[in-house]
Amino acid sequence: MSTITVLGLVLLGLMTLIGGKTGATAFLSLIFNFGLLFLAVVLISWGFPAMAVTLVIGTIILAFTIFFGEDNEMAARPAYIAALIVMVVLILVIFPVENWIMAQGFSLEDSEDLEGMSLAIGVSFIGVAVAEAILSTLGAIAEAAIAIAAGLSEIIEQHPLITAKRLYIDGISIGKQIIGTTFNTLFFGFFGGFLALFIWFSGLHYSFGSVINNKIFVAEVLMVLFALIGVILVVPVTTWVVTIEHRRQQKHND
Amino acid sequence: MKQWIRQHWQLSLTIVVVVLGLIGVGLTRFNAGLYQQTVAQVTQVRAQSQSSTTDEFENKDMTYTQVVTVKVLNKAHRGRIYHIKNTYTRSGAMDQSYRVGSQVFLRIPSDQDSAVTIQGLKRDTALAFVVWLAFALLLLIMRFSGLMAFLSVGLNALLFYAAIQIDLMTNGGHIYLLFGVLAVVFAALTLWLVLGFSRQMVVTFGATVAGTGLAVIISLIVFSVTHERGVTYESMQYVTQVPRPLFLVETILGSLGAVMDESTDIVASLFQLKTERPDIESKQVFKSGIKIGRSIMGPLINVLFLIFMADTFAMTLLYLRNGNNWGYTFTMNMSLGMVQSLISGIGIVLAIPVASWLASRLMPREVLPR
Repeated sequence: MSTITVLGLVLLGLMTLIGGKTGATAFLSLIFNFGLLFLAVVLISWGFPAMAVTLVIGTIILAFTIFFGEDNEMAARPAYIAALIVMVVLILVIFPVENWIMAQGFSLEDSEDLEGMSLAIGVSFIGVAVAEAILSTLGAIAEAAIAIAAGLSEIIEQHPLITAKRLYIDGISIGKQIIGTTFNTLFFGFFGGFLALFIWFSGLHYSFGSVINNKIFVAEVLMVLFALIGVILVVPVTTWVVTIEHRRQQKHND
Repeated sequence: MKQWIRQHWQLSLTIVVVVLGLIGVGLTRFNAGLYQQTVAQVTQVRAQSQSSTTDEFENKDMTYTQVVTVKVLNKAHRGRIYHIKNTYTRSGAMDQSYRVGSQVFLRIPSDQDSAVTIQGLKRDTALAFVVWLAFALLLLIMRFSGLMAFLSVGLNALLFYAAIQIDLMTNGGHIYLLFGVLAVVFAALTLWLVLGFSRQMVVTFGATVAGTGLAVIISLIVFSVTHERGVTYESMQYVTQVPRPLFLVETILGSLGAVMDESTDIVASLFQLKTERPDIESKQVFKSGIKIGRSIMGPLINVLFLIFMADTFAMTLLYLRNGNNWGYTFTMNMSLGMVQSLISGIGIVLAIPVASWLASRLMPREVLPR
């Protein structure tokens, strides 16, 4: 058996052992998400526009992650709506920035890996860069949206008559706790994986100026920043969606 | 009233910081003097020719040629104007078109004018703008409490830099020891900044280190049992040292943040629980911890999974369009990200019982209500 299979089985076993049914479903959603990611690349390689593919696949990935991860429908629905809104806003930010900064595709550092490859493949790499940036942030957006929506729905359950303003303050204060630790997840997640590149930069004595203008470095930092912006935006947007739903519920009850 | 003044003061300070930041972003347009490389600004662009190309895999693309007029902004050739031919493809994998107003790096050979080449785009203004955007949003929504997060990221980046220097000095000889120690220091520093030095911090720290450590041990066992079949170290990018240790260290560092994130959540909730119900039994504390962890782990594993996998998009696409089949494309591009995601996942899951158990054991018998 290959290493990936065994590691996968170990993870499945542990998730089921500790998480029970929730754990097994979570593992399933991971597999689905992998399938969707691969599907996204294949669709783009068949010539579908990267933006459209990202939008469709992103919508499905968010649905799988949020509805499989959270049993409480009261929290999952607003979390999903908020995550979708943030995804669309992020696309509107990412698209112009990627066109401005031109950090798409490959750089001289990739030369060795590109040997013998045809680069003129007729697919816009700016579109691919936008797709990469959006898809890599979705996990963080979904996680933050769930956490805030779950926290707020717990509060609503205990104080059904809470005012919208109070709810907003609570949402922001939950957000404050989440953002600190999520920053770390993102920082280590992105930069831990790029240790080799940083050793390359230092070993070949790149100047500070070359590093901050380097295509790969910029592309990587942008992904972290977009993910941060996404998570920051999730806080007020989720709170806002929960507040509106709550108000509608209250009217309905009257 | 006092409250109002304080809030008002905070808001105005936020706006001042945000505006100053934007001015700073604008100033990067005029920082050519700080660069060692020659910087020039594009003043005029003229399209020259275009042709369509087809490669051996039937990929159709367009190749364009433009003549770019640039004015040098710094160094010995300051003020000189050059006309440079730039060829680019529509897909833009390795090349790009230049627009009027962009700043670029030039290479000016000492002998003659004709061989001046553009070395790349100056991206610092755009990058500074996005940094500013993230910072401004954080300040506007979170006010100054969001800054602690930035501080910890900044300190960690410094440590990271220092460790890389040490690694280079020792030629990667002690990479496990070096980055193992670094991971522990990262965890301690970050948690100290987030939680302050307290019993809660110690428990969280213990859970983080133990969870990550156990995941590494399990992975190494799996590696030796399966003889690392399908782990294609040769496909690792940007490698200048022995790839295997580098890969393992990357994996540990990559998952560290997520494991900390989760342990923090679980331990904080359990301490809260103990404050609300001081008479709760440790067995019950353990059970609650598992229950909290259950709902966090799925989304958290997903966060890392998407980060690790999305990174490989461009290369995967290139492989597919260059006539490689799905299996080979996956093996060469995505399999390492997959192994990384799985090891991180194992760490994230294992941290749940460890954090719950440590919390149930090490929690003070009586937590005084705050």
